[in-house]
Amino acid sequence: MSSKKRPPVPLPGKSVSVQPGAYPVFTSTVAMALLRALRDPLVAAEAGQVIAENTDQFRSEVLTYIDRVEAAARAEDFDGIYEHAHEIRGLAGNAGLAATARIANGLCRYLDALTRAERKPEGNVVALHLDAISRAAHAEDEATRLGDAVANELAQLVDKKLAEINGLESR
Amino acid sequence: MPVFEELRALVVEDNMHMRRLLRQLLGALGIKETYEAGDGSEAFEILRVRQPDLVLADLTMQPMNGIQFTRQVRLSEASPNPYVPIIMVTGHTERQKVEAARDAGVTEFLAKPVTVGNLFLRIAEIVERPRPYVRCVDYFGPDRRRHNDENYHGPWRRHTDAQNDLELR
Repeated sequence: MSSKKRPPVPLPGKSVSVQPGAYPVFTSTVAMALLRALRDPLVAAEAGQVIAENTDQFRSEVLTYIDRVEAAARAEDFDGIYEHAHEIRGLAGNAGLAATARIANGLCRYLDALTRAERKPEGNVVALHLDAISRAAHAEDEATRLGDAVANELAQLVDKKLAEINGLESR
Repeated sequence: MPVFEELRALVVEDNMHMRRLLRQLLGALGIKETYEAGDGSEAFEILRVRQPDLVLADLTMQPMNGIQFTRQVRLSEASPNPYVPIIMVTGHTERQKVEAARDAGVTEFLAKPVTVGNLFLRIAEIVERPRPYVRCVDYFGPDRRRHNDENYHGPWRRHTDAQNDLELR
């Protein structure tokens, strides 16, 4: 007998499982051709070229959102800061701005946790992140060890702040 | 390069540049018929009219976000295909958001930044390993249990779990 006590098994019919094949999926011909294409190095190379060709456009878009997030910070609009920082973390990676994306992600994590805890963000934590995002995105060579070091330091700061929030919530 | 005349895709994304990138990547794969929508409500209308075979959807959009859109696709009586695979393309890493999307019925997650490897892997997963769909009181969508974990001790919610329970006794 199982060592764990299980809750009662639900009555038959409470959940229904529909197996693949019983619902519309790709036909076998299309599925096989699609799998071939997905594994074709020429297709992957063409797709990689597409990503490379879009990098500059994404970089320009990131800089636009940096202006917006800074405007939101001046207005102390924390919802706006989250919204624009979220856009930055989503776009920066495809702009070749990995450190910028990491820093923006840390800021989003911090703001999201505070919103759920119904607490107001600390201005200096937000300001540190925004300054780092802007400096990283404008740097000639963002993908440096310095960019990584700044992202790591700020990630530790966010972890510490989140631990403080969790500690307060569990009391 | 392949061209899939019979395959249609839908990209739902509020950022024009990301939308274009995803359409171009699908194009490189050979899917030339790709529709675009800026939010979930626009996407649902396109879904009804065009009936795409694959959907790539962002999570954060206005007025209807990706979670609301997915729930509507899976549960609405007006949905033309509640089984359509939905890949959620998102920058969100917060656990609550990811779990909410999973519980709405998302098929796969694709974390931003979008890379060729990750996108192709998610599509291959849908093609190679289509999951059973599960309907219960508060959920309809792909089976959320992806693994058979021997250390899983419940909760046991399905009528098929009765057999598992007997086998372990």
